[in-house]
Amino acid sequence: MQTDASCNEHVLQENCTQYLIAATQDVFASMIFMDIEPGEPLTGSDIRFQTSLSSMIGLAGDLRGLVAVHCTREAALGITSSMLGMDVEELDDDVKDAIGEIANMVAGGMKVSLADHNVKIDLAIPSTAVGKSIRVSSLSKGNRVLVPFTTSAGTFGVELQYIFA
Amino acid sequence: MAKNVLLVDDSSTMRKIISRSLRQAGLEFGDIFEASDGAEALDVLEKESVDIVLSDINMPNMNGIEFLREKASRDAIKDIPVFMISTETGDDIIGEAKSLGAVGALKKPFTPDKVNEVLGPLM
Repeated sequence: MQTDASCNEHVLQENCTQYLIAATQDVFASMIFMDIEPGEPLTGSDIRFQTSLSSMIGLAGDLRGLVAVHCTREAALGITSSMLGMDVEELDDDVKDAIGEIANMVAGGMKVSLADHNVKIDLAIPSTAVGKSIRVSSLSKGNRVLVPFTTSAGTFGVELQYIFA
Repeated sequence: MAKNVLLVDDSSTMRKIISRSLRQAGLEFGDIFEASDGAEALDVLEKESVDIVLSDINMPNMNGIEFLREKASRDAIKDIPVFMISTETGDDIIGEAKSLGAVGALKKPFTPDKVNEVLGPLM
């Protein structure tokens, strides 16, 4: 027999992917003015996704883990250009800051959705890595989902790793 | 007379977006000053003529709550209104901000229309 806590965890696992997609769509519709199309979510510990820039923000509290935004070079430049309303041609500090802020706002959207289930989380400060081959390890015994999104500028992915505290 | 605005956010991107949103919303304002955390914001308030502060909450070094608390203790700047713009919109943290003098809050992400709706009356 499931306890209330395990029932709640099950409901959250069902809904987390949708919350992640909704939060990302909200950010892009409100502040980036770019059409995005979610693809089939990827799950499991061995997710592979091409990325040149990844911004991550840690989650603490009732649910621990991270939200990460992974971009190809083209997507990072296109998204930042649209966000700032100016052409950006290099993966510079502006790009790292912009993608980090997207991760921050997506995590903030997740925080609001989870609060409806009485799951309280705290957000850390985002950090960003740039490189030719970035790999984010998964939490042991944690849940992991990555949703790829298609844009006119290329592909990016939004990842949620979490474990209930 | 157009009001001078201080934008406080550790993200330079967000400071640019807020500045752009104020213009897109058609709001009149004077000079815009910027700070990347609460400590820098206090320095600006002590040196410049600022009419309203738009501040993030989750920042390194000195966050928005610590900034409000410190500002409230300084007679010369304690009455300058502060409006919070943050991903943090829980009743507990916004309640704490308001208890320390914040006059309102806007959730990120936001649209220019929302900026006009909530900040228009203050500008």
